[in-house]
Amino acid sequence: MSVLFVHSGEFAWGIEFTLGLVALGWIGAMVLGTVLVIMHVSPIRTVRVVAAGYIVVFRNIPIPVQMVLFIFGLPLLGIVFPLFTSAAIVLVTYHAAFVCETLRSGMNAVAVGELEASRSLGFGPFGTIRHLVLPQAFAAVVQPLGNVLILLVKNSSVAAIVGVAELTFVADKIAIEEVQAFAVLGGAAVAYVVVCLVLKRFVAFLEYGVVFSK
Amino acid sequence: MNTTTLLFEVPGPRGRRRNRLFEMVSWTILAGVTYIVMRTLDKNGAFDAAAWSPFGQWGVWRQLGLGLLNNVRAAVVGMLLSMILGCFLGWGLLSKRKLVRYPCRVFTDVFNGIPVLLLLFFTSLALPSWGLSLPDFWFLVITLSLYSTAVVGDLVRAGVQALPRGESEAAAALGFSGFQSMWLILLPQALRMMSPALVSQMVIVFKGTTLAFVLGGYFDLLRAATVLGAYYSRSLLQAQGIAAIAFMLINIALSQLASAIDRREKQRYGVQAVTLEGNVLQASAD
Repeated sequence: MSVLFVHSGEFAWGIEFTLGLVALGWIGAMVLGTVLVIMHVSPIRTVRVVAAGYIVVFRNIPIPVQMVLFIFGLPLLGIVFPLFTSAAIVLVTYHAAFVCETLRSGMNAVAVGELEASRSLGFGPFGTIRHLVLPQAFAAVVQPLGNVLILLVKNSSVAAIVGVAELTFVADKIAIEEVQAFAVLGGAAVAYVVVCLVLKRFVAFLEYGVVFSK
Repeated sequence: MNTTTLLFEVPGPRGRRRNRLFEMVSWTILAGVTYIVMRTLDKNGAFDAAAWSPFGQWGVWRQLGLGLLNNVRAAVVGMLLSMILGCFLGWGLLSKRKLVRYPCRVFTDVFNGIPVLLLLFFTSLALPSWGLSLPDFWFLVITLSLYSTAVVGDLVRAGVQALPRGESEAAAALGFSGFQSMWLILLPQALRMMSPALVSQMVIVFKGTTLAFVLGGYFDLLRAATVLGAYYSRSLLQAQGIAAIAFMLINIALSQLASAIDRREKQRYGVQAVTLEGNVLQASAD
């Protein structure tokens, strides 16, 4: 246990990096996912095809492969980002596909009559999406989106395989240095579980807040 | 009836002209973007014959194939193990005794909350330090099956709870013991309802096998591609790209299989397949 206290500074850095990755990844994934879901209901076929293709490609390539390709492959093509930024970008591209899928299922929860009503009140397609469809879609999928967020927290650890100094990486490094795998990695595991459980409670609280009568 | 057709009324002649225009513009933009990407790739040597020349050899493909086979092997063994253990875990989660149920719940929550990579570091560092040194294959399998057992166990619980109460009552009335009614009556039905979610879990486990990249001692597809890239120093990107496409195609096929099973179940038995609101649903959401 004392190992954890000796290295608490490094651990704090690791947690900070992890939370930074999660925050950046989540904001990016939400924005990109929303754009993708709007593209997915577009009347223009090309736009729909692009969105659907994006989802198929980025959802089905495992995130370690994406991470390795992005960080070791793309520099060969002359495309170089800082390490932390690259990891955040990969997290965004991977999870945007999941956010989009989740929002799409939320859109199906919008009643047909409401769409018709909105159109007959003179809202254009984009006004309808902006004022009627998206708010309801978001409210309907708070819980599943929370699960995507927890998935993001767990997947942020994959940044460790390319050497971003986040929690998993720091824990692995200390565990090897101190030859105390059980205590150090156990401590990191507890940190992850706590973050996940807190987020779960937070999402449940949020869902309680946005529930409205249908 | 999808959202698009509801949002955008069937266009008149002007609307059709406008849509055609939009479509032409967007095709042009797409073509332009593709051109820029292709030119960037070309300028940096992605299409050089020299970079692709290793892939003319049979041996290179054989190595990649062996790597993929190792991924598949780990995924299959891990999934089978986790299905067996998951049935027991699900049984524990359904138990009326708090002494059995609570530890099972803690197990599920803990292994749902830990990143698989951290778990892999844990098994590959902690187990050898306790004198249990195994080939890297088994570290990967243990990690994946521990993680997957938690999900499968929760799925079994959800599946059994979704069955009508009459099933277990009838089993009790016929004189089956708790064990017998679970394994002979409840579990087979629950497994059928879970089958789409199990296939989706297979996708997740298969994706997880790529984490073996960090082990170094296990020759999976990503490792094979990287080693090839190091050997033929110009072909790293090509080899890794091929690996990514292989993973993508297999995962697409598995997702299609999951939704096909889902459709068939609904058609044949009129039952709603069981999904968890957790990781499982995300892989199967189509």
